[in-house]
Amino acid sequence: MKKQLLALALCCVASLAGANEGVKLEKIQVDPSNPAVKRGVEAFMESCHGCHSLKYIKYQDLVGLGFDKAKVKEWQGDWTIDSPVMGMMPDDAAMASFGTIPPELSLMAKARDGGNNYMYSYLMGYYTGADGVTGNHVFPASKMPDPLGISSATEPAQRAEIAAKARDIVSFLNWASDPHEQERFRLGYYVMGYLLVLTSLLYVMKNRIWARLK
Amino acid sequence: MSNKIMQWVDRRFPLTSFVKHDLSEYPTPRNLSYWWNFGSLAGIVLVLQVLTGIFLAMHYKADVAQSFNSIQHIMRDVNYGWLLRYMHSTGASAFFLVIFIHMARTLYYGSYRAPRELLWWTGQGLLLLLMGTAFMGYLLPWGQMSFWGATVITNLFRATPFIGDQVVVWLRGDYTVGDETLTRFFALHYLLPFVIIGAVMVHLIALHMVKSSNPSGIDLADKDNIPFHPYFTIKDLYGLGVFLMVYFGFALFFPNLLIEPANNIPANPMQTPNHIVPEWYFLPFYAILRSVPNMVGGVVAMGLSVMLFAFMPFLDRSKIPGGALYRPIYRLQFYLFIIDMMILGYIGYVPPTDQTIVIGQIASVVYFGIFFILPFTSKIEEKWLRNRGLPAQVEALIASEELQIAQKKSGGK
Amino acid sequence: MAHDEALGDVGRRDFLFKVTTVVGGVGVAAATVPFVTSMNPSADLLAKATTEVDLAGMDPGHMRTVAWQGKPVFVLRRTEEQIKLAVASKGVLDPVDDQQRVKQAEWLVVIGVCTHMGCVPNLEGEGWTCHCHGSQYDYSGRVVRGPAGKNLEVPPYHFSAADKLVIGEA
Repeated sequence: MKKQLLALALCCVASLAGANEGVKLEKIQVDPSNPAVKRGVEAFMESCHGCHSLKYIKYQDLVGLGFDKAKVKEWQGDWTIDSPVMGMMPDDAAMASFGTIPPELSLMAKARDGGNNYMYSYLMGYYTGADGVTGNHVFPASKMPDPLGISSATEPAQRAEIAAKARDIVSFLNWASDPHEQERFRLGYYVMGYLLVLTSLLYVMKNRIWARLK
Repeated sequence: MSNKIMQWVDRRFPLTSFVKHDLSEYPTPRNLSYWWNFGSLAGIVLVLQVLTGIFLAMHYKADVAQSFNSIQHIMRDVNYGWLLRYMHSTGASAFFLVIFIHMARTLYYGSYRAPRELLWWTGQGLLLLLMGTAFMGYLLPWGQMSFWGATVITNLFRATPFIGDQVVVWLRGDYTVGDETLTRFFALHYLLPFVIIGAVMVHLIALHMVKSSNPSGIDLADKDNIPFHPYFTIKDLYGLGVFLMVYFGFALFFPNLLIEPANNIPANPMQTPNHIVPEWYFLPFYAILRSVPNMVGGVVAMGLSVMLFAFMPFLDRSKIPGGALYRPIYRLQFYLFIIDMMILGYIGYVPPTDQTIVIGQIASVVYFGIFFILPFTSKIEEKWLRNRGLPAQVEALIASEELQIAQKKSGGK
Repeated sequence: MAHDEALGDVGRRDFLFKVTTVVGGVGVAAATVPFVTSMNPSADLLAKATTEVDLAGMDPGHMRTVAWQGKPVFVLRRTEEQIKLAVASKGVLDPVDDQQRVKQAEWLVVIGVCTHMGCVPNLEGEGWTCHCHGSQYDYSGRVVRGPAGKNLEVPPYHFSAADKLVIGEA
């Protein structure tokens, strides 16, 4: 009967493993720390905010991350502090220049198979082909121009810098998709510790009570 | 003082006698293994789902323009909304996991046998209610997977003879899954759990009539039964502690493992995701649906694959109690069935290719085959085992059961 | 079937039972916290805790009702006459000086919710009258006739500029 549980678990694992076909994604560990997320915000505002929105993140939330209000004011422009972070490009302008509306990014870390790895590999996946045209390994049909300039970077130091920036952006977008993630993990450790104690107590109790039957 | 209050109540309502008869002194076989924990666990998961669900409903909005946003509102702004939501979404999977194990135990130990048929059938009804509730709940976040899942499943009703198309429109309240569908699914998703609670009561009344089965398959003498409290209250609590560790492990550390990425994209009726799959607990049945090339045939096969369990008391014609315990052939069939379920689950998950379709069809044939050969294998197996000789207790039990049947027959005449 | 003994034993088992009960009880109590707090106002509502009011173009005697945390707030630019009336008395049922209720004599800012049963009073006569049960308030928002027993509440506010009022932040 134990096999059943094992097999059920295997079934779950198998179904997860099947999630990623096609292009191999680079695996990264996001940095959930506040400085990394803040660097990610700055990089996002510089390289992504021109076109992309964060529908579920408000400017107020950036203040909550520790940016001062004057800094946020620069990004927020004419919007109020409690309005969502909207891309600066109107939809019809985007349609005219790119033929598509740039997706909003606040849930992107959860909305693609591969999540963070996908976003990082996508950002780093630009290359310049033999004909001088820029393409993307991860998403060949992409209409987004190389936002971080990785396709034209040749110096290793420059590439490393761009990689760090991409990682920061992904760390920020991971935070944006689930702002309570770290709080959840913290609660998780407490809950697990507590349950371990309680279950051990119950186990001892159970043995003592059942010992009466012998 | 409290004694007096209890006396006052007991003259008007059988509280003490109820608690004694059905809880504290309820006689329970002492040899129950931990596989017997999953019934009470299912009850607790039900309570968890109802509680988290009620509190989520205080913030959720059933409206195509607002549902997706309201989930984000819950996840981001509502105090501990993220916790309630992840507990609820993880709880759905936990519920099915617990119920599947509960069913597997029943099948392994032959607990569906007489006189426990009604207990098994009320359980079957509960499974259907649970599936309905889970399916309707899955539409509520109004993500891509919600929408297309509901579209595909409501479309199954096109297989209804003569009025298929009308039935589908009636179920949806619209020509496609839309605002009407979402609102009624929410209403029913809130209602059905209370129907489930009622059905659980019936399930428990049936249980307390026939009492728990036990791993030996032989109903124990009174001296081998022990009071439910404290022996099984503590054992169930210990099991609950272990279960909660697994549950919170998923809910707090890996809650997104069980949520399809596409469901983080708002429903778009104009575009189907490349790869749509149901939740893991529907995958084997979904694989059977896909294995039949004809639509009506597929729907019938899928419906049958869920309902066949109800026929177990008739399909299993062996007089030997204890299910797989004394019966090697039945045990083999049981494990084959479990493996087959896993294969079907995997086939249901992966995008169909020529190869997986063939595997799925073979696995589907095996699935039904195991049920259909059971009346014959169980009879042959019984003959073989009785010729070879069974433990004396088992023989005695079979003899006494045969005697009872014979007496009833002669008494009737 | 003397099951009571199983739990009522002396010594360590008894102690263990108590510890387990307490630990379990603490867990159940802690588990209610997320459920109960989830019913409090959510973070996005708390973020909207302030309301900005543009006072430009308001003449003396003019009143505006603005929403703050969903409640009506009366912003009245009082005339010389009204100020004189307000300063002259201390109110009746809940006496307090007018100076303590305003930051600038010209501007009265009060929450427009009758302190009796929560209706919104109307500006009429020499102050406000609540039509639900007939309570009356003067030009300082102090109750002068029951059944209400308390003055109209003054919300926290400040002037961020000469003609900009921020309600919700002192």
